[in-house]
Amino acid sequence: MAILTIFTQPQLLLLVGVGTFAGIYIGAIPGLSVTMAVSILISFTFSWDVYPAISLMVGIYMGGVYGGSRTAILLNIPGAPSAIATAMDGYPMAQKGEAGQAIGVTTVMSFFGGLIGILVLAVAAPFVADFAITFQPRDYMLLAVLGILLVGSLSSGSLVKGIFAGALGIAIGAVGRDPLTFAERFTFDLKLMEGGISFIAVMIGMFGVSEALQQLQNVNMKAVRQKIDKIVPSFGTVKKYLPLSLQTSSIGVIIGALPGTGGDIAALMAYDHAKRVTKNPEVPFGKGAMEGLVAPETANNAAVGGAFIPMMTLGIPGDAVTAIMIGALFIHGLNPGPMLMVDQPDMFWFIVGALLMANVFMLIFGLTGIKIFTKIVEMPRSIIIPLILLLSIVGAYAVNNSITDVYWMLGFGVFGYFMRHYGYPLGPVILGVILSRLLDDNWRRAIISEREDLGRFFEGIITSPLSLSLFIAVILIFVSQTPVWTAAKTRLFGKASS
Amino acid sequence: MDPDFRGDSDHHDGTSDATPGGYIEQRRPGELGFAIFLTLASLFLLYNAYGISGFKALSSPGSVPMATTLVMAVSAFIVTLRTSRLSKVAHETLSKDILPIMVILFIGFLIIFGLLLKPLGFVLTAALFLTVAIKVLARKGWGYTLTVALGSLVVIWIVFRVVFTVLLPAGILPEAEFIQFFRNLMSGGAS
Repeated sequence: MAILTIFTQPQLLLLVGVGTFAGIYIGAIPGLSVTMAVSILISFTFSWDVYPAISLMVGIYMGGVYGGSRTAILLNIPGAPSAIATAMDGYPMAQKGEAGQAIGVTTVMSFFGGLIGILVLAVAAPFVADFAITFQPRDYMLLAVLGILLVGSLSSGSLVKGIFAGALGIAIGAVGRDPLTFAERFTFDLKLMEGGISFIAVMIGMFGVSEALQQLQNVNMKAVRQKIDKIVPSFGTVKKYLPLSLQTSSIGVIIGALPGTGGDIAALMAYDHAKRVTKNPEVPFGKGAMEGLVAPETANNAAVGGAFIPMMTLGIPGDAVTAIMIGALFIHGLNPGPMLMVDQPDMFWFIVGALLMANVFMLIFGLTGIKIFTKIVEMPRSIIIPLILLLSIVGAYAVNNSITDVYWMLGFGVFGYFMRHYGYPLGPVILGVILSRLLDDNWRRAIISEREDLGRFFEGIITSPLSLSLFIAVILIFVSQTPVWTAAKTRLFGKASS
Repeated sequence: MDPDFRGDSDHHDGTSDATPGGYIEQRRPGELGFAIFLTLASLFLLYNAYGISGFKALSSPGSVPMATTLVMAVSAFIVTLRTSRLSKVAHETLSKDILPIMVILFIGFLIIFGLLLKPLGFVLTAALFLTVAIKVLARKGWGYTLTVALGSLVVIWIVFRVVFTVLLPAGILPEAEFIQFFRNLMSGGAS
């Protein structure tokens, strides 16, 4: 039983624990993100065995998603994107002297949400993988397009900008020699371009350097300290919010499992759901409503398990972090997708076990050490920013021992900086880079099997229920951005819900 | 705070994919220029993608690059059109809100870091970078700056060079000899 591997090997258990602990702090320190940490970490752990590397990354992921809530509550600064919704009610609670209670409930509910996410992953993934074996190349192609479009449409106000970002990612992923024909693509006759652009350099640049440059504008931002009292919540409090947490965990798992969407979107949608279903909250939303804490925190941690479902079964990332994790598995010679589940089910069960342990560690670390925590997260940005930049350089260099990768990282960092400022989402770029090969290979396989005939290709889509569903989903994303759809939605549901 | 602003009230906008920076109904300084640059760059890449295999076959190596760069060009053009119709954000300037001197300075630091990394080596370049960067950002005395910079560098060097065994350029410092000396010392102490 591979699920037990993590419990029987102290070294792996330690790595999950260290990862979760580090993840909580990384997630909590404003300016450090889980995506950034995992992308930098890949470059340092690529020479390790796969189990220790995955143990550390899973711990950081789980801890990081939770850690963001701490600073959201204490300092009104969401440490991670998935904690944006948490700040809305968490900080008002802290201002009223209820920071300890807010942290306690958040921790227990994050544990609960995480547990549900992992359970759904364990139960659903083998079925999805069995089903995925029947997928045709065109289905994979459509899934990849759907994933990129979903993250583009949900993560930014402008679908067009999301589409641009996704297409840019695919183009970056295509740089170098074509693996099938050895034709040069976007190499500009330069030798150094023939091997392609290291996706790790792109990721570290986009998430590490650009974020650090962005943070330069907030160097002198002062945090407001809060008093912390009783932390462990009573059983009655937990029981009271259990029905809501079940609903929002489900939202988290589903949103997390959609290719391309992660904890941040799940948390915002869960918060919105809580607002709609809680008719008479004891405290109004936005002023310290406990429901406003429970909903996003269960959802964002449930989304972690959900995000692993498409990653493990289809090889399509559920969010930016799992996109990077796919990269890590590639580096270790593994190819996530339905065949991984068939050929190496141990890897899947090992990840489930690691997630489970990370969730337990999160509960333990979450309810302890808060006084030291507040001191560490207040580390001045004047120190953090240079350190992030230094680690980014070391990370980019370490993969291929190449200065060229450092320059790619810097280039993408500056480019990502402008993209952030002008409202272009970065998630689709990374998704595009990771999915570029899958999309390209499957498109070519699909069209060759249809003898280069577009008519036959579309006929194949229409006659297959799965392909047709995916195709309709892609079309719906476009239609949902048109004024006709917005007008129809407003007419049906009223303005408030739109 | 402008109600259309998509970031948060503390101005650390764009830290999340769920809430990228920018405004919904207004354009920031340089936003139109950036959109035009993206359109032109996409068109250049489309031309380059056409050169891979032309319209030879739908399964040719250039088909996906052509399709993606076409999508890039069209979407960037739409963004340019939309952006050009928006009114400017009144209180923002390029030099204050988008590309302040501090950001330009740090981009310069990083370029210099890249240039010096091979000839000088990681330890010296990183020491130089951390000292200058922390001095510029923290604006505290040399004692504080050097203690924090060199202390952090020692921790980073031990973690990545010794624990993770990441190979970093040695440059002019006899790093390998130092590590060997250190190991001999440890093994001698053990025996």
